[in-house]
Amino acid sequence: MRAARYLRNRYRAILSYTGLVLFIGGVLMLTPLLVLIVRPREAAGAWGFLLPALTMAALGVVIWRVFRVSGELALTLQEGGVVVLLGWVALCLFSSWPFIANGSNFTQAVFESVSGWTTTGLTVVNVEEAGSLILLWRSVMQFAGGAGLAIIMLSAITGPTGPGFSSAEGREQLVPHVRHSAKLVMGIYTGYAALGIIASLLTGMGWFDAINHSFAAVSTGGFSTRAESIGYWNSPAIESVTLLLMVLGNLNFVTAWLLLRGKFRTAGRNGELRLFACLAVLCSVALLLLTSAGMYATRGKDIRVSVFQTVTALTTTGFSTVEHAGWNSFGWLVLIVLMVIGGGTCSTAGGIKQYRVYMLWKSLIWQLRQFLLPRSAVTQNAVYEGERRVFVDDDRLRQIGTFLFLYLLVLIVGSAILAAHGNGLRESVFEYASAIGTVGLSVGITGPEAPGGVLWAKTVGMFLGRLEFIVIIVALSKLFRDSRSMFVPKNRG
Amino acid sequence: MSEHLYAVIVGCGRLGALLANQLSRKGHSVVAIDNDADAFAGLAAEYSGFRIEGEATELAVLKEAKVDKADLVISTTREDNVNLMVAQIAKEVFKVPRVMARVFLPEYEDSYRRMGIEVVCPTRAAADMFLNALAEEEGSPK
Repeated sequence: MRAARYLRNRYRAILSYTGLVLFIGGVLMLTPLLVLIVRPREAAGAWGFLLPALTMAALGVVIWRVFRVSGELALTLQEGGVVVLLGWVALCLFSSWPFIANGSNFTQAVFESVSGWTTTGLTVVNVEEAGSLILLWRSVMQFAGGAGLAIIMLSAITGPTGPGFSSAEGREQLVPHVRHSAKLVMGIYTGYAALGIIASLLTGMGWFDAINHSFAAVSTGGFSTRAESIGYWNSPAIESVTLLLMVLGNLNFVTAWLLLRGKFRTAGRNGELRLFACLAVLCSVALLLLTSAGMYATRGKDIRVSVFQTVTALTTTGFSTVEHAGWNSFGWLVLIVLMVIGGGTCSTAGGIKQYRVYMLWKSLIWQLRQFLLPRSAVTQNAVYEGERRVFVDDDRLRQIGTFLFLYLLVLIVGSAILAAHGNGLRESVFEYASAIGTVGLSVGITGPEAPGGVLWAKTVGMFLGRLEFIVIIVALSKLFRDSRSMFVPKNRG
Repeated sequence: MSEHLYAVIVGCGRLGALLANQLSRKGHSVVAIDNDADAFAGLAAEYSGFRIEGEATELAVLKEAKVDKADLVISTTREDNVNLMVAQIAKEVFKVPRVMARVFLPEYEDSYRRMGIEVVCPTRAAADMFLNALAEEEGSPK
């Protein structure tokens, strides 16, 4: 009985923090309304935001207050996982409300909201007909989802609750205190966005497009305000600004913090950064030579396309400058591989993550080297993480292997579901790799007329891809186990 | 102690872990060092500082912990000599403003203090408490 009481107390705290996440989400939903100051003609759509935002914020405050536990309570990693899971589900559901108010059905609305929060960028909204409020809301969701803003704000404001949530959401710490670390990440992240907005304005974007695209680029989201995405402008300057923002978004915040402090040597030892540089150069050249050469009007355009598409796929952003339909199979394969590899850990990007791929590559090298050494040879296998040289044990490699297996399993099942709906193999794998890697490149399967089964399969994929499986599994099994011991009295013994 | 401190705790046993937890809870930046990774199990969920596995008597490990930037170093390993050495390095090499150490042998206390290291001696503290308890009994009327 005392165990049940203890658990109930823990869950009160968990619910209370989830309420706080909801409240933050509600406040975020009010931000698109600022656009009405400049564009008052669109005030008719305001209720579609005010109502859900206020409901969400009010509900959040009530839950937070009602369940608040007196005294300071630090949540463990598992409990943080439950907050992350509950918070994300609640945020995604509530965020679909404005889309429903604007005429989407439930499936489409949830798809769009999950695509936003997970920074995917696949869309079923017709951006040419949608109002500024909806467009801005999509970008705000991506901006907030990218850095896990709701969770980060939670760690930044709620005092000493330990690193439970932020580690559950896959965040490493920059400095040895979770609150300072969270504030630092928020600072760097808003810095990126501000830089992006200014640079976009200077290169000739309108202010509305500049804000939306900067938000969607630094979060490696990829929602655009134009049907042709970045291709609408066909401008080298705008493309290079977007490239820079995507690369910044793809950077591990720990590495970014090193670079900001001028520690280039240390950052250069980072495996992720090396892998990123290698892949970006190699794949751009390969795409240029084997796919895009001669496809477009000028040589310069060929090069621009191959570089942009490589970076947009690898950083899991999903902006595009061209259609992929006319590309040859080699080009598709390169993009699929890049999307599956994905961005940096502890960044805003998705995919398997460069860190894991780098570790697997390293372990392959170590394994091969071991064969050439005497049987009794002892080797030290180390990689650089941040400023520290870390020795890699088998345990970590096993975790990566498990993750990789889960990732590929879901990718195959998801692609199978898309294929079962009558899509080609190429298209199915491409689109599902795009969904699970939270990329957002599309070859036309995603759209307002896509069937419900396809959209739900991708919604699940985006959600799993963003939260990286493990936290979801841990949180669900904890919820299941605890709910039994909390509510079912034990009569045995 | 209201302002923000950067504290390095050397030795993450029962005492070290307790100190690290409390300091982290208060909002300070904490780095805990121990040569045994299992020792970090003593850190609670509220601890949000860094953990470094290594010998704190090695300069490389102390540099990794950024002892040069620390406001406070507390050495709490079970070896008096290790505590003395770490405290001395922190004081002399890294010029840490405040260095504290635990020392079990009461004879060592003085020499530590002369070096500018603040000392807590559990042995003497316990002895004093016993003696005080006895003194109170003697002093009180029967």
